[in-house]
Amino acid sequence: MIADDLVIEKGTSAGDDWLTVPADRVREALSSLRAEGYTILTFLTCVDHLADASRAWPERYELVYQLRDIEAPRDLRVRAFVGGETPHIDSVHDLFPPANWDERETYDMFGIVFEGHPDLSRILMPDDWVGHPLRRDYPVGGEHVEFSEEHETWQTAPDRA
Amino acid sequence: MTDTMGVSVTRTGQQGAFGGELLTVNFGPQHPSTHGVLRLIVDLDGEQIKRIKPVIGYLHTGIEKQMEALRWQQGVVVTDRHDYLSPPINNLAYALAVERLMGVEVPPRAQVLRVIMSELTRLSSHLVWLGTSGIELGAMSMLMYCFRERDTILNMNEEISGYRMHTSYIRPGGVLADATPRFFDLLNDFIEKMPGHIDEYEDLLTMNPIFRSRTIGIGILTAADAKVLGATGPMLRGSGVNWDLRKNMPYSGYENYDFEVAVSNDRDCYGRYLCRIKEMREAVKILRQAVDRLPDGPVNVDDRKMLPPPREELETSMEAVIHHFKLFTEGYSVPAGDVYVAVESGRGENGCYIVSDGTHKPRRVKFRAASFVNLQALERMAMDHMVADMIAIIGTADTVLGDVDR
Repeated sequence: MIADDLVIEKGTSAGDDWLTVPADRVREALSSLRAEGYTILTFLTCVDHLADASRAWPERYELVYQLRDIEAPRDLRVRAFVGGETPHIDSVHDLFPPANWDERETYDMFGIVFEGHPDLSRILMPDDWVGHPLRRDYPVGGEHVEFSEEHETWQTAPDRA
Repeated sequence: MTDTMGVSVTRTGQQGAFGGELLTVNFGPQHPSTHGVLRLIVDLDGEQIKRIKPVIGYLHTGIEKQMEALRWQQGVVVTDRHDYLSPPINNLAYALAVERLMGVEVPPRAQVLRVIMSELTRLSSHLVWLGTSGIELGAMSMLMYCFRERDTILNMNEEISGYRMHTSYIRPGGVLADATPRFFDLLNDFIEKMPGHIDEYEDLLTMNPIFRSRTIGIGILTAADAKVLGATGPMLRGSGVNWDLRKNMPYSGYENYDFEVAVSNDRDCYGRYLCRIKEMREAVKILRQAVDRLPDGPVNVDDRKMLPPPREELETSMEAVIHHFKLFTEGYSVPAGDVYVAVESGRGENGCYIVSDGTHKPRRVKFRAASFVNLQALERMAMDHMVADMIAIIGTADTVLGDVDR
Protein backbone atom coordinates (compact mmCIF):
# COMPACT_ATOMS: atom_id res chain seq x y z
CA MET A 1 0.00 0.00 0.00
CA ILE A 2 1.13 3.51 -0.75
CA ALA A 3 2.08 5.37 2.45
CA ASP A 4 -0.43 7.99 3.62
CA ASP A 5 2.15 10.76 3.76
CA LEU A 6 2.79 10.29 0.02
CA VAL A 7 -0.81 11.13 -0.89
CA ILE A 8 -1.55 14.85 -0.90
CA GLU A 9 -5.00 14.56 -2.38
CA LYS A 10 -7.12 11.89 -4.05
CA GLY A 11 -10.35 11.82 -5.96
CA THR A 12 -12.27 10.75 -9.02
CA SER A 13 -12.63 12.66 -12.27
CA ALA A 14 -15.31 11.48 -14.74
CA GLY A 15 -14.96 7.96 -13.33
CA ASP A 16 -11.13 7.87 -13.31
CA ASP A 17 -9.34 7.48 -9.97
CA TRP A 18 -6.43 9.79 -9.34
CA LEU A 19 -4.11 10.85 -6.57
CA THR A 20 -1.59 13.64 -6.14
CA VAL A 21 1.88 12.92 -4.78
CA PRO A 22 4.74 15.28 -3.81
CA ALA A 23 6.95 15.96 -6.85
CA ASP A 24 10.19 15.35 -4.96
CA ARG A 25 9.03 11.87 -3.88
CA VAL A 26 7.49 10.72 -7.16
CA ARG A 27 9.86 7.75 -7.55
CA GLU A 28 9.04 6.50 -4.07
CA ALA A 29 5.30 6.81 -4.76
CA LEU A 30 5.44 5.13 -8.16
CA SER A 31 7.59 2.24 -6.98
CA SER A 32 5.21 1.49 -4.12
CA LEU A 33 2.27 1.64 -6.55
CA ARG A 34 4.15 -0.69 -8.87
CA ALA A 35 4.58 -3.13 -6.01
CA GLU A 36 0.84 -2.86 -5.44
CA GLY A 37 0.15 -4.25 -8.93
CA TYR A 38 0.19 -1.19 -11.16
CA THR A 39 2.97 -2.60 -13.31
CA ILE A 40 2.26 -0.79 -16.58
CA LEU A 41 2.74 2.87 -17.35
CA THR A 42 0.21 3.60 -20.07
CA PHE A 43 1.57 7.06 -20.71
CA LEU A 44 3.27 9.99 -19.05
CA THR A 45 2.60 13.55 -20.01
CA CYS A 46 2.34 17.10 -18.75
CA VAL A 47 -0.40 19.70 -18.57
CA ASP A 48 0.40 23.41 -18.53
CA HIS A 49 -2.00 25.26 -16.20
CA LEU A 50 -0.88 28.74 -17.15
CA ALA A 51 -3.80 31.15 -16.54
CA ASP A 52 -6.19 28.26 -15.81
CA ALA A 53 -8.99 29.66 -13.66
CA SER A 54 -10.94 26.41 -13.27
CA ARG A 55 -9.39 25.87 -9.81
CA ALA A 56 -6.38 26.93 -7.73
CA TRP A 57 -3.38 24.98 -9.02
CA PRO A 58 -0.37 24.48 -6.74
CA GLU A 59 2.14 24.96 -9.58
CA ARG A 60 2.06 25.69 -13.28
CA TYR A 61 3.03 22.25 -14.63
CA GLU A 62 1.15 19.08 -13.77
CA LEU A 63 2.86 15.79 -14.58
CA VAL A 64 0.44 12.96 -15.23
CA TYR A 65 1.37 9.28 -14.90
CA GLN A 66 -1.35 6.91 -16.04
CA LEU A 67 -0.82 3.50 -14.44
CA ARG A 68 -2.55 0.21 -15.12
CA ASP A 69 -2.92 -3.06 -13.27
CA ILE A 70 -3.78 -5.60 -15.98
CA GLU A 71 -4.61 -8.34 -13.49
CA ALA A 72 -7.54 -6.51 -11.87
CA PRO A 73 -7.95 -4.62 -14.36
CA ARG A 74 -7.87 -1.09 -12.96
CA ASP A 75 -6.35 2.27 -13.84
CA LEU A 76 -4.90 4.97 -11.63
CA ARG A 77 -3.71 8.43 -12.49
CA VAL A 78 -0.88 9.94 -10.47
CA ARG A 79 -0.27 13.67 -10.54
CA ALA A 80 2.69 15.73 -9.40
CA PHE A 81 3.07 19.48 -9.66
CA VAL A 82 6.26 21.30 -10.56
CA GLY A 83 7.00 24.94 -11.29
CA GLY A 84 9.81 27.32 -12.13
CA GLU A 85 11.44 28.35 -15.40
CA THR A 86 13.15 24.96 -15.90
CA PRO A 87 11.04 22.53 -13.86
CA HIS A 88 12.81 19.44 -12.52
CA ILE A 89 11.52 16.01 -11.55
CA ASP A 90 13.10 12.56 -11.12
CA SER A 91 13.06 10.21 -14.08
CA VAL A 92 11.17 6.91 -13.76
CA HIS A 93 12.56 5.26 -16.90
CA ASP A 94 14.08 2.41 -14.88
CA LEU A 95 10.82 1.65 -13.06
CA PHE A 96 8.75 1.78 -16.26
CA PRO A 97 10.73 1.38 -19.53
CA PRO A 98 8.08 3.04 -21.77
CA ALA A 99 8.70 6.24 -19.78
CA ASN A 100 11.99 6.65 -21.65
CA TRP A 101 10.47 8.10 -24.81
CA ASP A 102 7.54 9.69 -22.98
CA GLU A 103 9.96 11.67 -20.82
CA ARG A 104 11.91 12.76 -23.86
CA GLU A 105 8.67 13.91 -25.47
CA THR A 106 7.63 15.79 -22.33
CA TYR A 107 11.04 17.45 -22.18
CA ASP A 108 10.78 18.34 -25.86
CA MET A 109 7.27 19.75 -25.64
CA PHE A 110 7.22 21.32 -22.15
CA GLY A 111 10.85 21.71 -21.12
CA ILE A 112 10.51 19.54 -18.01
CA VAL A 113 13.94 18.23 -17.01
CA PHE A 114 13.92 14.59 -15.88
CA GLU A 115 16.82 14.01 -13.53
CA GLY A 116 18.63 10.72 -14.16
CA HIS A 117 17.29 10.14 -17.68
CA PRO A 118 20.01 8.43 -19.80
CA ASP A 119 19.47 10.48 -22.97
CA LEU A 120 17.28 13.49 -22.39
CA SER A 121 17.20 14.96 -25.89
CA ARG A 122 14.51 16.23 -28.21
CA ILE A 123 12.51 13.43 -29.83
CA LEU A 124 9.88 14.97 -32.12
CA MET A 125 11.19 18.48 -32.81
CA PRO A 126 14.56 19.05 -34.54
CA ASP A 127 17.59 18.99 -32.24
CA ASP A 128 18.31 22.71 -32.73
CA TRP A 129 14.74 23.87 -31.99
CA VAL A 130 14.29 26.79 -29.62
CA GLY A 131 11.39 26.73 -27.16
CA HIS A 132 8.92 24.10 -26.02
CA PRO A 133 5.89 24.06 -28.32
CA LEU A 134 3.18 22.65 -26.05
CA ARG A 135 3.64 25.33 -23.39
CA ARG A 136 0.58 27.54 -23.36
CA ASP A 137 2.61 30.71 -23.97
CA TYR A 138 4.02 29.29 -27.20
CA PRO A 139 1.75 30.50 -30.01
CA VAL A 140 0.13 28.31 -32.65
CA GLY A 141 1.73 29.16 -35.98
CA GLY A 142 4.93 30.02 -34.11
CA GLU A 143 7.05 27.99 -36.46
CA HIS A 144 9.11 29.43 -39.23
CA VAL A 145 7.73 28.50 -42.66
CA GLU A 146 10.68 27.88 -44.92
CA PHE A 147 10.74 29.16 -48.50
CA SER A 148 7.64 31.27 -47.83
CA GLU A 149 7.35 34.77 -49.19
CA GLU A 150 5.30 35.73 -46.16
CA HIS A 151 8.03 34.44 -43.91
CA GLU A 152 8.25 37.67 -41.89
CA THR A 153 4.54 37.76 -41.07
CA TRP A 154 4.50 34.07 -40.16
CA GLN A 155 7.45 34.31 -37.88
CA THR A 156 6.03 34.88 -34.43
CA ALA A 157 8.72 33.42 -32.23
CA PRO A 158 7.85 33.22 -28.52
CA ASP A 159 9.79 36.34 -27.53
CA ARG A 160 7.80 38.44 -29.97
CA ALA A 161 4.40 36.91 -29.19
CA MET B 1 30.55 7.23 -47.66
CA THR B 2 27.31 6.74 -49.52
CA ASP B 3 26.41 3.85 -51.76
CA THR B 4 23.95 3.99 -54.65
CA MET B 5 20.91 3.31 -52.45
CA GLY B 6 21.53 6.45 -50.44
CA VAL B 7 22.53 4.42 -47.37
CA SER B 8 25.40 6.06 -45.56
CA VAL B 9 27.92 3.99 -43.69
CA THR B 10 30.26 5.11 -40.89
CA ARG B 11 33.13 3.14 -39.42
CA THR B 12 32.96 2.96 -35.64
CA GLY B 13 36.45 1.63 -34.95
CA GLN B 14 34.97 -0.97 -32.54
CA GLN B 15 35.95 -4.60 -33.04
CA GLY B 16 33.16 -7.10 -33.84
CA ALA B 17 32.95 -10.79 -32.90
CA PHE B 18 33.89 -11.96 -36.40
CA GLY B 19 37.16 -10.04 -36.46
CA GLY B 20 35.72 -7.20 -38.49
CA GLU B 21 34.85 -3.69 -37.48
CA LEU B 22 31.38 -2.55 -36.35
CA LEU B 23 29.73 -0.31 -38.92
CA THR B 24 27.05 2.27 -38.30
CA VAL B 25 24.48 2.26 -41.08
CA ASN B 26 21.73 4.78 -41.53
CA PHE B 27 18.35 3.49 -42.70
CA GLY B 28 15.84 5.99 -43.88
CA PRO B 29 14.01 8.28 -43.41
CA GLN B 30 13.24 7.57 -47.07
CA HIS B 31 14.76 4.12 -47.48
CA PRO B 32 12.44 2.13 -49.75
CA SER B 33 12.14 -0.86 -47.43
CA THR B 34 11.26 1.07 -44.28
CA HIS B 35 7.77 2.08 -43.26
CA GLY B 36 7.01 5.71 -43.94
CA VAL B 37 9.61 8.12 -42.66
CA LEU B 38 11.09 5.93 -39.94
CA ARG B 39 14.82 6.47 -39.62
CA LEU B 40 17.02 3.90 -37.90
CA ILE B 41 20.67 4.19 -36.99
CA VAL B 42 21.94 0.63 -36.87
CA ASP B 43 25.29 -0.70 -35.63
CA LEU B 44 26.24 -3.80 -37.58
CA ASP B 45 28.77 -6.53 -36.97
CA GLY B 46 28.97 -8.07 -40.43
CA GLU B 47 25.26 -8.43 -41.10
CA GLN B 48 24.28 -8.82 -37.45
CA ILE B 49 22.47 -6.02 -35.69
CA LYS B 50 24.18 -4.89 -32.48
CA ARG B 51 22.26 -1.70 -31.72
CA ILE B 52 19.26 0.14 -33.15
CA LYS B 53 18.43 3.74 -32.46
CA PRO B 54 15.14 4.88 -34.00
CA VAL B 55 15.04 8.56 -34.91
CA ILE B 56 11.49 9.85 -35.16
CA GLY B 57 9.73 13.16 -35.59
CA TYR B 58 9.88 13.51 -39.38
CA LEU B 59 6.09 13.43 -39.54
CA HIS B 60 5.41 15.57 -36.49
CA THR B 61 2.49 17.86 -37.30
CA GLY B 62 1.71 19.34 -33.90
CA ILE B 63 -1.72 17.72 -33.69
CA GLU B 64 -1.89 18.09 -29.89
CA LYS B 65 -1.09 21.79 -30.16
CA GLN B 66 -3.67 22.32 -32.88
CA MET B 67 -6.36 20.65 -30.77
CA GLU B 68 -5.91 23.33 -28.11
CA ALA B 69 -6.81 26.02 -30.64
CA LEU B 70 -9.94 24.28 -31.92
CA ARG B 71 -13.39 24.07 -30.37
CA TRP B 72 -14.52 20.71 -29.02
CA GLN B 73 -16.54 19.75 -32.09
CA GLN B 74 -13.84 20.93 -34.51
CA GLY B 75 -11.16 18.75 -32.94
CA VAL B 76 -12.66 15.58 -34.42
CA VAL B 77 -11.32 16.49 -37.84
CA VAL B 78 -7.77 16.61 -36.51
CA THR B 79 -8.05 13.27 -34.67
CA ASP B 80 -8.60 11.57 -38.03
CA ARG B 81 -5.11 12.40 -39.05
CA HIS B 82 -2.75 11.03 -36.40
CA ASP B 83 -3.15 7.32 -37.03
CA TYR B 84 -4.14 7.75 -40.65
CA LEU B 85 -4.96 4.08 -41.19
CA SER B 86 -7.71 4.02 -38.57
CA PRO B 87 -9.52 7.39 -38.49
CA PRO B 88 -12.87 6.22 -37.05
CA ILE B 89 -11.12 4.52 -34.12
CA ASN B 90 -9.27 7.76 -33.34
CA ASN B 91 -12.58 9.63 -33.55
CA LEU B 92 -14.11 7.10 -31.18
CA ALA B 93 -11.44 7.58 -28.49
CA TYR B 94 -11.89 11.35 -28.64
CA ALA B 95 -15.69 11.21 -28.76
CA LEU B 96 -15.89 8.81 -25.80
CA ALA B 97 -13.57 11.04 -23.78
CA VAL B 98 -15.63 14.18 -24.44
CA GLU B 99 -18.84 12.29 -23.68
CA ARG B 100 -17.45 10.95 -20.40
CA LEU B 101 -16.56 14.49 -19.29
CA MET B 102 -20.01 15.77 -20.26
CA GLY B 103 -21.80 12.77 -18.77
CA VAL B 104 -23.57 11.96 -22.02
CA GLU B 105 -24.60 8.50 -23.23
CA VAL B 106 -25.19 8.01 -26.96
CA PRO B 107 -28.29 6.14 -28.21
CA PRO B 108 -28.07 2.38 -28.90
CA ARG B 109 -28.18 2.74 -32.70
CA ALA B 110 -25.19 5.06 -32.61
CA GLN B 111 -23.30 2.59 -30.40
CA VAL B 112 -23.78 -0.19 -32.93
CA LEU B 113 -22.88 2.06 -35.88
CA ARG B 114 -19.70 2.97 -34.00
CA VAL B 115 -18.84 -0.70 -33.56
CA ILE B 116 -19.47 -1.33 -37.27
CA MET B 117 -17.17 1.52 -38.27
CA SER B 118 -14.49 0.44 -35.78
CA GLU B 119 -14.42 -3.11 -37.07
CA LEU B 120 -14.39 -2.02 -40.72
CA THR B 121 -11.45 0.22 -39.87
CA ARG B 122 -9.64 -2.58 -38.10
CA LEU B 123 -10.06 -4.69 -41.24
CA SER B 124 -8.85 -1.96 -43.57
CA SER B 125 -5.87 -1.22 -41.33
CA HIS B 126 -4.90 -4.90 -41.19
CA LEU B 127 -5.32 -5.15 -44.96
CA VAL B 128 -2.84 -2.32 -45.53
CA TRP B 129 -0.47 -3.98 -43.09
CA LEU B 130 -0.82 -7.39 -44.76
CA GLY B 131 -0.32 -5.99 -48.25
CA THR B 132 2.72 -3.87 -47.44
CA SER B 133 4.33 -6.53 -45.23
CA GLY B 134 3.82 -9.02 -48.04
CA ILE B 135 5.67 -6.74 -50.44
CA GLU B 136 8.49 -6.24 -47.97
CA LEU B 137 8.93 -9.99 -47.63
CA GLY B 138 8.77 -10.66 -51.34
CA ALA B 139 5.10 -11.64 -51.76
CA MET B 140 4.38 -9.04 -54.39
CA SER B 141 0.82 -10.04 -55.22
CA MET B 142 -0.45 -9.62 -51.62
CA LEU B 143 -0.93 -5.89 -52.08
CA MET B 144 -3.28 -6.38 -55.05
CA TYR B 145 -5.49 -8.81 -53.14
CA CYS B 146 -5.55 -6.70 -49.98
CA PHE B 147 -6.20 -3.39 -51.68
CA ARG B 148 -9.08 -4.94 -53.63
CA GLU B 149 -10.96 -5.54 -50.35
CA ARG B 150 -9.73 -2.33 -48.79
CA ASP B 151 -11.27 -0.45 -51.66
CA THR B 152 -14.69 -1.89 -50.88
CA ILE B 153 -14.25 -0.66 -47.31
CA LEU B 154 -13.30 2.79 -48.58
CA ASN B 155 -16.42 2.73 -50.77
CA MET B 156 -18.45 2.09 -47.63
CA ASN B 157 -16.68 4.99 -45.88
CA GLU B 158 -17.61 7.20 -48.80
CA GLU B 159 -21.20 6.05 -48.70
CA ILE B 160 -21.65 6.66 -44.98
CA SER B 161 -19.66 9.87 -44.54
CA GLY B 162 -18.75 11.31 -47.93
CA TYR B 163 -15.04 10.73 -47.38
CA ARG B 164 -12.96 7.73 -48.27
CA MET B 165 -10.25 8.02 -45.63
CA HIS B 166 -10.64 10.83 -43.11
CA THR B 167 -14.27 10.20 -42.35
CA SER B 168 -14.82 12.20 -39.10
CA TYR B 169 -17.88 9.99 -38.86
CA ILE B 170 -17.89 9.35 -35.11
CA ARG B 171 -18.37 12.58 -33.20
CA PRO B 172 -19.03 13.60 -29.61
CA GLY B 173 -22.76 13.04 -29.11
CA GLY B 174 -23.19 10.31 -31.68
CA VAL B 175 -22.32 9.97 -35.34
CA LEU B 176 -22.43 12.26 -38.36
CA ALA B 177 -25.65 10.84 -39.82
CA ASP B 178 -27.56 7.60 -40.08
CA ALA B 179 -26.27 5.02 -42.55
CA THR B 180 -27.97 4.82 -45.94
CA PRO B 181 -29.68 1.64 -47.25
CA ARG B 182 -26.94 1.35 -49.87
CA PHE B 183 -24.36 1.23 -47.08
CA PHE B 184 -26.04 -1.86 -45.66
CA ASP B 185 -26.19 -3.46 -49.12
CA LEU B 186 -22.45 -2.96 -49.49
CA LEU B 187 -21.83 -4.15 -45.93
CA ASN B 188 -23.90 -7.32 -46.26
CA ASP B 189 -22.17 -8.17 -49.51
CA PHE B 190 -18.79 -7.55 -47.85
CA ILE B 191 -19.59 -9.70 -44.80
CA GLU B 192 -20.61 -12.54 -47.09
CA LYS B 193 -17.47 -12.45 -49.23
CA MET B 194 -14.76 -11.45 -46.74
CA PRO B 195 -14.20 -14.88 -45.06
CA GLY B 196 -13.45 -16.33 -48.49
CA HIS B 197 -11.00 -13.54 -49.19
CA ILE B 198 -9.21 -14.13 -45.87
CA ASP B 199 -8.85 -17.79 -46.94
CA GLU B 200 -7.21 -16.51 -50.13
CA TYR B 201 -4.65 -14.50 -48.15
CA GLU B 202 -3.92 -17.51 -46.00
CA ASP B 203 -3.48 -19.69 -49.10
CA LEU B 204 -0.85 -17.27 -50.28
CA LEU B 205 1.09 -16.84 -47.04
CA THR B 206 0.34 -19.17 -44.13
CA MET B 207 2.07 -22.25 -45.54
CA ASN B 208 4.29 -20.37 -47.98
CA PRO B 209 7.84 -21.70 -47.33
CA ILE B 210 9.55 -18.39 -48.11
CA PHE B 211 7.21 -16.40 -45.88
CA ARG B 212 7.54 -18.96 -43.09
CA SER B 213 11.31 -19.06 -43.21
CA ARG B 214 11.48 -15.28 -43.07
CA THR B 215 9.11 -14.92 -40.12
CA ILE B 216 9.25 -18.03 -37.90
CA GLY B 217 11.68 -17.54 -35.02
CA ILE B 218 12.39 -13.99 -36.12
CA GLY B 219 11.86 -11.04 -33.79
CA ILE B 220 11.01 -12.95 -30.64
CA LEU B 221 9.39 -10.87 -27.91
CA THR B 222 8.63 -12.75 -24.71
CA ALA B 223 5.42 -12.11 -22.81
CA ALA B 224 7.34 -10.60 -19.89
CA ASP B 225 9.27 -8.24 -22.19
CA ALA B 226 6.15 -7.24 -24.07
CA LYS B 227 4.39 -6.30 -20.82
CA VAL B 228 7.35 -4.43 -19.39
CA LEU B 229 7.87 -2.49 -22.60
CA GLY B 230 4.20 -1.50 -22.63
CA ALA B 231 3.47 -3.15 -25.98
CA THR B 232 -0.22 -3.46 -26.85
CA GLY B 233 -2.39 -4.92 -29.58
CA PRO B 234 -1.12 -7.77 -31.78
CA MET B 235 2.41 -7.09 -30.48
CA LEU B 236 1.27 -8.16 -27.02
CA ARG B 237 -1.18 -10.85 -28.09
CA GLY B 238 1.37 -12.31 -30.51
CA SER B 239 3.52 -12.87 -27.40
CA GLY B 240 0.84 -14.95 -25.75
CA VAL B 241 -0.77 -12.36 -23.47
CA ASN B 242 -4.54 -12.42 -23.55
CA TRP B 243 -5.28 -8.71 -23.33
CA ASP B 244 -7.77 -6.89 -25.51
CA LEU B 245 -9.44 -3.69 -24.37
CA ARG B 246 -12.65 -4.75 -26.10
CA LYS B 247 -12.86 -7.71 -23.69
CA ASN B 248 -10.98 -6.50 -20.62
CA MET B 249 -12.23 -2.90 -20.41
CA PRO B 250 -15.23 -2.86 -22.78
CA TYR B 251 -16.59 0.31 -24.35
CA SER B 252 -19.40 1.04 -26.83
CA GLY B 253 -21.17 -2.19 -25.90
CA TYR B 254 -18.40 -4.58 -26.96
CA GLU B 255 -19.27 -6.77 -23.98
CA ASN B 256 -22.45 -7.79 -25.83
CA TYR B 257 -20.68 -9.32 -28.81
CA ASP B 258 -19.52 -12.88 -29.06
CA PHE B 259 -15.94 -12.95 -30.32
CA GLU B 260 -12.61 -14.48 -29.40
CA VAL B 261 -9.42 -12.61 -28.62
CA ALA B 262 -6.72 -13.57 -31.10
CA VAL B 263 -3.72 -14.82 -29.11
CA SER B 264 -0.67 -16.63 -30.40
CA ASN B 265 2.05 -18.27 -28.32
CA ASP B 266 4.62 -18.15 -31.15
CA ARG B 267 5.98 -14.78 -29.91
CA ASP B 268 7.65 -14.12 -33.28
CA CYS B 269 6.77 -12.32 -36.51
CA TYR B 270 4.76 -15.31 -37.67
CA GLY B 271 2.75 -15.27 -34.43
CA ARG B 272 1.88 -11.62 -34.94
CA TYR B 273 0.81 -12.45 -38.49
CA LEU B 274 -1.47 -15.26 -37.25
CA CYS B 275 -2.94 -12.92 -34.64
CA ARG B 276 -3.90 -10.31 -37.18
CA ILE B 277 -5.42 -12.88 -39.54
CA LYS B 278 -7.51 -14.25 -36.67
CA GLU B 279 -8.47 -10.72 -35.69
CA MET B 280 -9.74 -10.10 -39.22
CA ARG B 281 -11.96 -13.19 -39.02
CA GLU B 282 -13.28 -12.09 -35.62
CA ALA B 283 -13.95 -8.59 -36.97
CA VAL B 284 -16.19 -10.08 -39.67
CA LYS B 285 -17.97 -12.07 -36.95
CA ILE B 286 -18.60 -8.87 -34.95
CA LEU B 287 -19.83 -7.06 -38.07
CA ARG B 288 -22.34 -9.82 -38.75
CA GLN B 289 -23.70 -9.66 -35.19
CA ALA B 290 -23.83 -5.86 -35.31
CA VAL B 291 -25.87 -5.82 -38.52
CA ASP B 292 -28.27 -8.40 -37.10
CA ARG B 293 -28.94 -6.49 -33.91
CA LEU B 294 -28.89 -2.91 -35.23
CA PRO B 295 -31.74 -1.22 -33.34
CA ASP B 296 -33.93 1.55 -34.76
CA GLY B 297 -33.90 5.00 -33.31
CA PRO B 298 -31.91 8.21 -33.32
CA VAL B 299 -28.15 8.27 -33.93
CA ASN B 300 -27.39 11.38 -31.89
CA VAL B 301 -28.05 12.53 -28.36
CA ASP B 302 -31.09 14.75 -28.06
CA ASP B 303 -29.21 17.69 -26.57
CA ARG B 304 -29.52 21.07 -28.25
CA LYS B 305 -26.61 22.42 -26.19
CA MET B 306 -24.23 19.93 -27.81
CA LEU B 307 -25.48 19.19 -31.31
CA PRO B 308 -27.19 21.49 -33.81
CA PRO B 309 -30.98 21.25 -34.24
CA PRO B 310 -32.38 19.50 -37.33
CA ARG B 311 -32.67 21.68 -40.44
CA GLU B 312 -36.47 21.75 -40.49
CA GLU B 313 -36.67 23.11 -36.94
CA LEU B 314 -34.67 26.19 -37.95
CA GLU B 315 -37.58 27.43 -40.06
CA THR B 316 -40.12 27.33 -37.27
CA SER B 317 -38.34 27.79 -33.96
CA MET B 318 -36.49 30.89 -32.80
CA GLU B 319 -34.87 28.86 -30.03
CA ALA B 320 -33.43 26.46 -32.60
CA VAL B 321 -31.89 29.39 -34.47
CA ILE B 322 -30.28 30.66 -31.27
CA HIS B 323 -28.89 27.22 -30.44
CA HIS B 324 -27.58 26.89 -33.97
CA PHE B 325 -25.93 30.29 -33.81
CA LYS B 326 -24.34 29.64 -30.41
CA LEU B 327 -22.99 26.24 -31.44
CA PHE B 328 -21.39 27.48 -34.63
CA THR B 329 -19.89 30.64 -33.17
CA GLU B 330 -18.86 29.79 -29.63
CA GLY B 331 -19.32 26.03 -29.50
CA TYR B 332 -20.20 24.17 -26.33
CA SER B 333 -18.29 24.08 -23.07
CA VAL B 334 -17.18 20.90 -21.36
CA PRO B 335 -17.14 20.74 -17.52
CA ALA B 336 -13.67 21.14 -15.99
CA GLY B 337 -11.85 17.89 -15.27
CA ASP B 338 -9.75 15.30 -16.98
CA VAL B 339 -10.43 11.87 -18.41
CA TYR B 340 -8.54 9.08 -20.12
CA VAL B 341 -10.31 6.77 -22.55
CA ALA B 342 -8.58 3.91 -24.34
CA VAL B 343 -9.90 1.94 -27.29
CA GLU B 344 -8.42 -1.00 -29.15
CA SER B 345 -7.21 -0.03 -32.60
CA GLY B 346 -5.54 -2.28 -35.15
CA ARG B 347 -2.21 -1.40 -33.59
CA GLY B 348 -3.04 -1.58 -29.91
CA GLU B 349 -4.19 0.80 -27.24
CA ASN B 350 -5.24 4.05 -28.83
CA GLY B 351 -5.95 6.41 -25.96
CA CYS B 352 -7.10 9.95 -25.60
CA TYR B 353 -6.38 11.97 -22.47
CA ILE B 354 -8.33 15.21 -22.29
CA VAL B 355 -8.09 18.04 -19.78
CA SER B 356 -10.85 20.61 -19.80
CA ASP B 357 -10.73 23.91 -17.96
CA GLY B 358 -14.46 24.45 -18.44
CA THR B 359 -14.18 26.57 -21.58
CA HIS B 360 -15.18 25.91 -25.18
CA LYS B 361 -11.70 24.69 -26.13
CA PRO B 362 -9.66 21.88 -24.58
CA ARG B 363 -6.82 22.78 -22.21
CA ARG B 364 -4.81 19.73 -23.27
CA VAL B 365 -5.41 16.74 -25.51
CA LYS B 366 -2.86 13.93 -25.40
CA PHE B 367 -3.02 10.95 -27.71
CA ARG B 368 -1.56 7.77 -26.32
CA ALA B 369 -0.29 6.32 -29.57
CA ALA B 370 0.14 2.56 -29.74
CA SER B 371 2.84 2.81 -32.43
CA PHE B 372 4.94 5.21 -30.34
CA VAL B 373 5.16 2.71 -27.49
CA ASN B 374 5.41 -0.41 -29.67
CA LEU B 375 8.33 1.05 -31.59
CA GLN B 376 10.39 1.09 -28.39
CA ALA B 377 10.35 -2.71 -28.44
CA LEU B 378 12.12 -2.77 -31.82
CA GLU B 379 15.63 -2.96 -30.43
CA ARG B 380 14.71 -5.84 -28.11
CA MET B 381 13.20 -7.79 -31.03
CA ALA B 382 15.87 -7.12 -33.64
CA MET B 383 19.01 -7.62 -31.54
CA ASP B 384 21.47 -10.13 -33.08
CA HIS B 385 19.28 -10.66 -36.14
CA MET B 386 20.38 -10.05 -39.73
CA VAL B 387 19.64 -6.75 -41.45
CA ALA B 388 17.13 -8.44 -43.76
CA ASP B 389 15.21 -9.75 -40.74
CA MET B 390 14.86 -6.25 -39.43
CA ILE B 391 12.56 -5.52 -42.36
CA ALA B 392 10.28 -8.39 -41.31
CA ILE B 393 10.34 -7.15 -37.72
CA ILE B 394 9.49 -3.55 -38.61
CA GLY B 395 6.79 -4.88 -40.91
CA THR B 396 5.05 -7.02 -38.31
CA ALA B 397 5.36 -4.33 -35.63
CA ASP B 398 2.93 -2.37 -37.85
CA THR B 399 3.91 1.11 -36.81
CA VAL B 400 2.18 4.03 -38.49
CA LEU B 401 4.53 6.98 -38.47
CA GLY B 402 1.71 9.49 -38.30
CA ASP B 403 0.73 7.83 -35.04
CA VAL B 404 4.31 7.80 -33.72
CA ASP B 405 4.99 11.48 -34.44
CA ARG B 406 1.50 12.98 -34.15
